[in-house]
Amino acid sequence: MSGMKPTNRKAELLLDAAAAGHVPEVVAMESVAGCATTFDPGWEVDPFGGVASLCQPMEADLYGCSDPCWWPAQVPDTLNTYPDWDVGKPSAQDDWRELGSVFPKK
Amino acid sequence: MLSIPRPWWMMVALVAAATVSAGPKRDYIVTAAKPDRLFVIDPATRSIRSEFRIPEANDFLGTIVPSPDGRIAYVLVNKMESISGIDLDSGKEVFRANLSSPGERVKCVFAFDVTPDGQELIVYEVPVRLGLSEYQVEDTRFAVFNTRAGLDARPVRQFPAPRRIHTLLSRKDGKSFFAIGFDLYELDRATGKPLSQKGVRNWEYTNHSMPDLLAFWPVSEPTGVFATPIYSSVPPPAGKGDPIPKTALMTLDLTTGDLQYHDFEDTAALIFSAVLNPAKTEAFGVYSQLSKIDTRSNTLAKRVDLDHTYYAVLVSSDGKEVYAAGAMCDVTFFDALTLQKKGNVRLTGCTDQAITSPRVIRR
Repeated sequence: MSGMKPTNRKAELLLDAAAAGHVPEVVAMESVAGCATTFDPGWEVDPFGGVASLCQPMEADLYGCSDPCWWPAQVPDTLNTYPDWDVGKPSAQDDWRELGSVFPKK
Repeated sequence: MLSIPRPWWMMVALVAAATVSAGPKRDYIVTAAKPDRLFVIDPATRSIRSEFRIPEANDFLGTIVPSPDGRIAYVLVNKMESISGIDLDSGKEVFRANLSSPGERVKCVFAFDVTPDGQELIVYEVPVRLGLSEYQVEDTRFAVFNTRAGLDARPVRQFPAPRRIHTLLSRKDGKSFFAIGFDLYELDRATGKPLSQKGVRNWEYTNHSMPDLLAFWPVSEPTGVFATPIYSSVPPPAGKGDPIPKTALMTLDLTTGDLQYHDFEDTAALIFSAVLNPAKTEAFGVYSQLSKIDTRSNTLAKRVDLDHTYYAVLVSSDGKEVYAAGAMCDVTFFDALTLQKKGNVRLTGCTDQAITSPRVIRR
């Protein structure tokens, strides 16, 4: 990290941890399922490099991805960040027109 | 099919409480759907036997674990922060464990099970301390609850847990339990003492890459053997070209603890979850296709396209029918021999099952 300069307090702390040999104590947020720890291909491309093996139709996978925070960049995370995104819209295949976009809170 | 009046508060008063059959034992399918519904489906009549409302489900229905006598369904609800036990005869909530407390948010990431004696729930907990300006990730743990603790259940025991656990399964003798994550861990039920660790991500499968596993449908009925697809690759012939992707069936015998992996095809289709037939001679896997695997020869026996993607698959106790469920709003019945569609039940209001894990109970 010699070529990088910290721009905030957390980054400074990480440098301090590296200097003190404590980097192994920096642990990733749990878990296999969800919230930025899942790197599986999905939504844009299937494991074969195409789209034929994505869930069919996409509505079949919509709440399966929002509920466990599976792909929070593609589908709002209702587990923590946008818990009300699908409230009152229990049927993805019937209610999808009512599902809105989300934006980071300021 | 039951006619459920709306709004829901009317339904509470009129909730279907048809007692599950008192005659010879039959199969029933238990599934859940948004926003807070629990269904008991009769495969014999292709109909919804009961429909209940889970209090404070908070638009989240996850893992379903039936009690060994099939009378109570424990359901992960409330954004993974609560487990609700619903009496399948009355529809009443008879157990509730709210995992979070002021200052500490606790999620159960799919993994919990009931002990074979029905007396305890073992729950994998992922706690986070909520500070004023930061979150402090705490150590993961197993928490044990008494199933008779009522609606304010608190842990009677806790012990450390490995990280990244996604499936928890009791051993059939009730003395220990299995936790599946990067590896397969077995721990003593009473003390939490680690008893063994076998490779999953760190498997020793000759010539195979590190595998990938997606398993949060903890189905082991009717065989007592948990089964799931697991993906890896092997080097190309003569070392030229791309690695060859392989799909294997991973099985864990909950009586003996025997863990096995067997490739059955070069990966040609995705499979999310799988189940063994009663004779353990075939397995069925589901996603956008329904696959049948011959477990004697470890080959793909048959594959058919489905109307849509399903996450979960079950098999009848006599092995004659396969049930596809999860994801959308229906349960579909297939002939286990031909994989031909035989029937379908659409859930009331066509609300999504999403990631819930439908189960077969025998009553």
